[in-house]
Amino acid sequence: MSAAARVEKAVKEYGVGDTRVRALDEVSVEFAAARFTAVMGPSGSGKSTLMHCAAGLDTLSDGRAWLGDTELSALGDRELTLLRRERIGFVFQAFNLVPTLTVRENITLPLDLGGAAPDPAWLDTLIEVVGLRDRLHHRPSQLSGGQQQRVAVARALAGRPQVVFADEPTGNLDSRSGGEVLGLLRSAVDTMHQSVVMVTHDPAAAAYADTVLFLADGRLVDTMREPTAERVLDRMKAFDGRRTRAGAR
Amino acid sequence: MNASVRIGARSLLAHRRRLVGTVLSIVLGVAFLTGTMVLGDTLRANFDTLFADANAGTDAVVRSADAIADPGVPGGVRAPLDDALTAKLRAVPGVGAAEGSVQGAGQLIGADGRPIGGQGPPTWAGNWITDPKLNPYRLAEGRAPAAPGEAVINRGAARTGKLHVGDTTVLRTPDPVRITVVGIATFGADADGMGPSTFTALTLADAQAHLTPRGSGQVSTVRLRSDSLSQRQLVERVRPLLPSGVEALTGADATAQSTADVSGRFLGLFTTLLLVFAGIALLVATFTIHNTFAIVTAQRTRENALLRALGASRRQVLGTTLGEALAIGLLASALGLLGGFGVAAGLKALFAAIGFTLPTGGTVIKAATVVLPLLVGTLVAAGSALAPALRAARTAPLAALRDAAVDEAASGRSALLRGALGALLVAGGLPAVIVGATRGPSLVLTVGGALALLLGTVVLGPVAAATAVRVLGAPLARLRGVTGALARRNAARNPGRTAATASALMVGVAVVTLFTVFGASVQATLDDTVSRSFAGDLAVTAPAAGAGGSGVSPKLAPALAALPEVRAAAGLGRGVAQVDGHGKQLDVANPGQLAQVTDLGRVDGSLADLGADGLAVSRTEAAARGWQLGTVVPMRFADGPAAFTVRALYRGGGVTGDYLISRQAWQPHRVQDSDGLVAVALRPGVSLAAGKAAIARVADAYGNPQVQTRAEYAESSASGVDMMLSVVYALLALAVLIALLGIANTLTLAVHERIRELGLLRAVGQTRAQLRAMVRWESVLVAAFGTAGGLALGALLGWALTRAADSAGTGSFALPAGRLAIVALVGLAAGALAGLRPAARAARLDILRAVAAA
Repeated sequence: MSAAARVEKAVKEYGVGDTRVRALDEVSVEFAAARFTAVMGPSGSGKSTLMHCAAGLDTLSDGRAWLGDTELSALGDRELTLLRRERIGFVFQAFNLVPTLTVRENITLPLDLGGAAPDPAWLDTLIEVVGLRDRLHHRPSQLSGGQQQRVAVARALAGRPQVVFADEPTGNLDSRSGGEVLGLLRSAVDTMHQSVVMVTHDPAAAAYADTVLFLADGRLVDTMREPTAERVLDRMKAFDGRRTRAGAR
Repeated sequence: MNASVRIGARSLLAHRRRLVGTVLSIVLGVAFLTGTMVLGDTLRANFDTLFADANAGTDAVVRSADAIADPGVPGGVRAPLDDALTAKLRAVPGVGAAEGSVQGAGQLIGADGRPIGGQGPPTWAGNWITDPKLNPYRLAEGRAPAAPGEAVINRGAARTGKLHVGDTTVLRTPDPVRITVVGIATFGADADGMGPSTFTALTLADAQAHLTPRGSGQVSTVRLRSDSLSQRQLVERVRPLLPSGVEALTGADATAQSTADVSGRFLGLFTTLLLVFAGIALLVATFTIHNTFAIVTAQRTRENALLRALGASRRQVLGTTLGEALAIGLLASALGLLGGFGVAAGLKALFAAIGFTLPTGGTVIKAATVVLPLLVGTLVAAGSALAPALRAARTAPLAALRDAAVDEAASGRSALLRGALGALLVAGGLPAVIVGATRGPSLVLTVGGALALLLGTVVLGPVAAATAVRVLGAPLARLRGVTGALARRNAARNPGRTAATASALMVGVAVVTLFTVFGASVQATLDDTVSRSFAGDLAVTAPAAGAGGSGVSPKLAPALAALPEVRAAAGLGRGVAQVDGHGKQLDVANPGQLAQVTDLGRVDGSLADLGADGLAVSRTEAAARGWQLGTVVPMRFADGPAAFTVRALYRGGGVTGDYLISRQAWQPHRVQDSDGLVAVALRPGVSLAAGKAAIARVADAYGNPQVQTRAEYAESSASGVDMMLSVVYALLALAVLIALLGIANTLTLAVHERIRELGLLRAVGQTRAQLRAMVRWESVLVAAFGTAGGLALGALLGWALTRAADSAGTGSFALPAGRLAIVALVGLAAGALAGLRPAARAARLDILRAVAAA
């Protein structure tokens, strides 16, 4: 099985001297193609940093990151920009849409930025899937949070990117809206063979994934296939327990 | 549509309200620039039309070839011609008509006994040219002058002076001439006059008697026309017949020269002055625009970061922001262009209101007047937005994921860099200003230093802002409690922004202060000049020929000297000669009498010995040219060269200028004699009132010139400065207005981005009134910072300008405390005013929505 994206001995450090923090400590991870991968871990585990570096939003202090066969550390700002535009889709936790553009314009934004014409059939499919046909000419501020996030998913999928990275996509949503967004991502993997990487701290969200990677203290500590919310929750409790013990010692 | 363009256009529409201030400041600046250019073009065209009309039927003009440049007379002074030439030219085959034209200064006295005109536009007198084609004036009423004492006056003068056909009045040539109005004329078909100037036409013999030096047989020019020859052919035909020193030129060339003379001197200065003020307004606008874009871009950090994360290139983000600025600039400039046509009318009205009438006529708009302001406005907008746009383009994509702090100060390193650069500029500028002002004095060094200082102050602003606001706001915290303390903290929280906002006001206030200080110093200098060098008791004056009048009759001084109340009376006339290739004003006086009514300080040599070829020179001028007693100075008069010997040196900078010659010496070179001032010393024991009454009785017969005490004379010679200052204040009001728009705009944006914080304050119990007061006081603090900086900088530069402009070293410096206090008050009040709307908007906000706002 080939990897959609991977990092090898990834190191990311912030700050200097006494205030130095090692967010990633020689992590090596593969995100499988056409699979839904969730990255979990307690706060400060480095899960967001891992995603940012894998997605070319941030650069590694050491080690290497690939998107497909492209090594990211070799790319300059311009190539990284093009890579994000053409080969990566993003869904963020909040502030996902450009407030001055309509729903439709937001969906085609990455394509428009590259000057590419959207494939009408594909666009139609996406609009159908996210169920916002009657909202196409609305502004983001006229939509609910869940609707906004569905638009963001549609936008991430619009360019048929190699990988969609989602950073806590349900963090700001109630469980029903969150479920809709996660269902969308799931069906993108199942019906469109899209590769999706999602960072989350919600076990229920992680349960939508094919594989869950657990990070702690900047290291990959566990991998879980076919997760369920209960199993993930148990695994996370183990972290808490360990932390509690460490704190007591 | 291209994505960058679309995003730019959308955010333009979405943020309309935030950009109102930006648009307005460009509109105002561009309107001013346009207005200035339109006014300049219109005036130039109007003058051109006037001179073309004046020469409409004239195909050729014959005149003396030599002109002595005279700062008071456009085109310079020329010697008159022998009238015999007229008859000779009339006989030339092909010449249809030839008429001698006498032209000089002649101010009419109105029915109320007050002189007509004399505040800029010339008051002409001359002969009524009998050939209707050569004469640009047409009789509207009455008839042409035929007998001595008869005159035709232009309709405008008749209206202003309430004179009618059959009235008698006095014409100051400057000797008083009693005239009877026999006709009223229009200029061309229907104009009241040649622009705002007045014209009195006498018979040729009368005009020669009163306006030419010999009194008969002389004319200023000969005007020719031909029915069969072209203008050029006519000139070619008459040229061989002219005596040496006399030239002929076509009517078209004469028109072009007159226009060029007026354009080059008066209009050039006038439009340059206005352009300087338009430049100041645009400079202030630049600060405002830059600030707005800096804030708007900062507020849009997350949006730009999102775009970057989604694959927008730096260039695309840069293009979006710059495109927005360009669009705003273009739109606002277009609006400004329209407003500019109104400004042109307003400026004209402003000058008319202070008694400085400009010729009327249709508005002229040239292509350059449309293109240049559009270009300047757009470039100012785009240029001001360049730095914020570059910053926007550098936004890291990750910033989309952070709760970016938009209201934060610059980093330590850039603050250090800024401090160093600003200190360097100030360290370089300050000594340059001081050295330029005191040693030398060198205007170039001073101006260069002043610019470096201004730039340094602007650069240092953010470094100084935090401290300054804390100091200036110290009383506020004590007086207004927590509201004042919060206002002070808010003003200091982003020193960069506070400084940028205040900079606009600082520049405006600095220029206002500079002119206030400079004006007061000039007034003080004039005051000093009179009190130091005017040793008489009373002064008799009338506007001189260069100032639109005709001066005082030279016969008045002897008449006054004969009064029993008067100990001595000396007229001070004005002559002109070329020294070293430059036109110089000469003071013409009877040296013996002059010494009794003026104080020339220590005199080397003897004033009494000037004679017909002696020259007295101020010590500074003599030193500058390396002259000593006995030096022979070649001089050139309108009628030719003459050598003068330096026989006396005196202290300059008084009522007399740098050159003084006797009446006897001036006699052969004069064109039209007049005195600018008659200084009178009363006999001991004669009261000022009695003396004034006695003099006024005599002066009344000499065309009613003004009789003033020494104090009144000092005041009125300084009154021109007040006029200049009021114009400057009116012009600078615009720059200050733009600065205030900037403050209001910044505050509105600040309120917008602090909306959650404001909501929190309201939620924990701040009343609406307290919130309003907090925003308003922040505005006042920012204005106080700008005003304080502007006052300090302006006072310093005002001092430097005063010193640098004073090459003789005789000027005074004055710091008008009262006026500067008013400037400070206006600055603070304006700050409070600017805070009104943002404060009101902040107070309206809904607490829950404010706290929930993302």
